[in-house]
Amino acid sequence: MARWILIVYSVISLLALMLMLSRENLYVVIALAAGFLLLGHRELWSLVRYGRMPVIDERVQNNLTGAMRITGVFFFILSIVLILLFRFNVFKNTPKELIISGQLVIVGFVYVVSYYYYDRVQPYLAGRALRWLKICLITAGLCLSTIALAIVLHNMVSRWLGFEDAFFFVLGLLVAPSVLALSLLGCLAIYIKGLCSGLREVEQS
Amino acid sequence: MKTRMKEYRARLGITQEKLAEMVGVRRETIIFLEQGKYNPSLKLAYGVARVLGAAIEDIFILDDKEV
Repeated sequence: MARWILIVYSVISLLALMLMLSRENLYVVIALAAGFLLLGHRELWSLVRYGRMPVIDERVQNNLTGAMRITGVFFFILSIVLILLFRFNVFKNTPKELIISGQLVIVGFVYVVSYYYYDRVQPYLAGRALRWLKICLITAGLCLSTIALAIVLHNMVSRWLGFEDAFFFVLGLLVAPSVLALSLLGCLAIYIKGLCSGLREVEQS
Repeated sequence: MKTRMKEYRARLGITQEKLAEMVGVRRETIIFLEQGKYNPSLKLAYGVARVLGAAIEDIFILDDKEV
């Protein structure tokens, strides 16, 4: 199944690449190529190293399903955010192709990160580390929504009161981003720790 | 979950690579199974047990809490 998805994706990418090249949309061309490399890196690596496609067993299928689920949810949320940002003309001076290309690359990156989470990180993280990873992720999500909410509330309250509101300004521009940065760093540290021990253990076995 | 795959595999003198090939999975999956980091499906457990010439319950040992 995953192999067919890759083949279909490759064909669509190739057609899209030709179309975009002919229309000189270089950003999208680069994004599609990067997305293809991110999605098919395991298959490409196996082809280069062993000269054959990798075996897709039930463990890999489970990992792929998990990664696809996370990527799908992320893509959906990101699309809604981007639609809202486009609606409010936030990207007035930025080319649309650049934003969509960025979205494609980020989605590809999220897929790889979530695949390796299921494949190497999760099995080698102890219960406590997994709990901390969840806490950090939830905190990061809450911070993101706090930033958005604080911006809206700051504008609303400032309009109602007639002067610049300070509370939501500080919350949205200082407190929430700082906590967000800290929680993302925490996530990254736990992820890298799990990934390193996973790679080491598999290499040594 | 504990497994005695390594022991049975050593007894038969087959490598992880060979076992993976015989069962039709990746070598990493065999490593994860041997380390008890992955719970196999009944089909995979049956395949491994058959290749190793033992019963499933001899190879994969579940704690009472896990059942």
